[in-house]
Amino acid sequence: MTAGAATTAERESSAGVWTAVGSRLGRWSRSAVVYGVVVGVLAVVVGEWLHVNPPAAYGLCSACHGRDLADWIVNHTEGKRLFVTAAGAGWPLLTVVGLVVGSFAAARRNREFSSINLGGNVRQFAYGAVVMGAALFVGGCPTRILIRTGYGDLAGLLALGGVAAGIVAATLSMRWAARR
Amino acid sequence: MIVSLASLGLGIVVGYLGQRSRMCSIGGLRDFVLVRDTALLKGALALLVTAWVSFGVVRLVSTSDVSHGLIAAGTTPSGLGAVAAVLVGAILLGFVATLSGACPLRQHVLAGQGRVGAWSFLAGFYLAAIVYTSWIAPSIGSWVL
Repeated sequence: MTAGAATTAERESSAGVWTAVGSRLGRWSRSAVVYGVVVGVLAVVVGEWLHVNPPAAYGLCSACHGRDLADWIVNHTEGKRLFVTAAGAGWPLLTVVGLVVGSFAAARRNREFSSINLGGNVRQFAYGAVVMGAALFVGGCPTRILIRTGYGDLAGLLALGGVAAGIVAATLSMRWAARR
Repeated sequence: MIVSLASLGLGIVVGYLGQRSRMCSIGGLRDFVLVRDTALLKGALALLVTAWVSFGVVRLVSTSDVSHGLIAAGTTPSGLGAVAAVLVGAILLGFVATLSGACPLRQHVLAGQGRVGAWSFLAGFYLAAIVYTSWIAPSIGSWVL
């Protein structure tokens, strides 16, 4: 940065500086790499230091945290004794609620919120059921599989390879079905 | 208390960033296979590398033994049968999640921005969670999580 640019930046009002900071933050928040870095650090910090453990590497997971919340609610309303991990047994894990709320806030703030019905809702319902079953079977949603692999879990690496193979197979079969 | 607040705050931050960046942990590989677009794949790679580095830093800094064990009991497969089971489950997870259009985390984000299909996905998702822990997990045993 040249001296002239610095002096013009100094001459800007504080509101101008804040809009510049805001536009830069807005640009960063649209980057997938920034998402990966921020989420990786936050998931580790929350999982290791803010008591979202055991199990290990449990900071962020949409399937396991959703399972914990659903089972916690059933346990506390119906008096059942369904399995809840030690992290979510006392106070409930509200990650999935936060995900929807945060996404809703972002969509409202940037005027992207709109109710869109693409159809195929029964099919999506069935996909959701199968995805949850498979995710609980392998021990996490794809995001937690990435975090577990980063933790050094060989089962996570194995699951990551399997998920990658499944994605490639599904993508190629969808393209094949579309071209036929 | 701390657990609820921390997970809620993490969820809000991840939901906000996920809505802005359209990040999806399976969408990266799908976009790469379909149209050779690597934007989301770089995000997934950044998440993996950052988690790896952060866990290394935590192991250096932290004095507690929270993160020193390899992984909690029940998630480590023992024997070839468990390896095959995890592999089959993961392939099924990747296949069906790709057919549904997004990974589970992205479906929460899509539900937040008003996609009706994501809400029906989540209805099946949470129904299956209760069904799985009530009947399927007790009957298949605890040798795989």
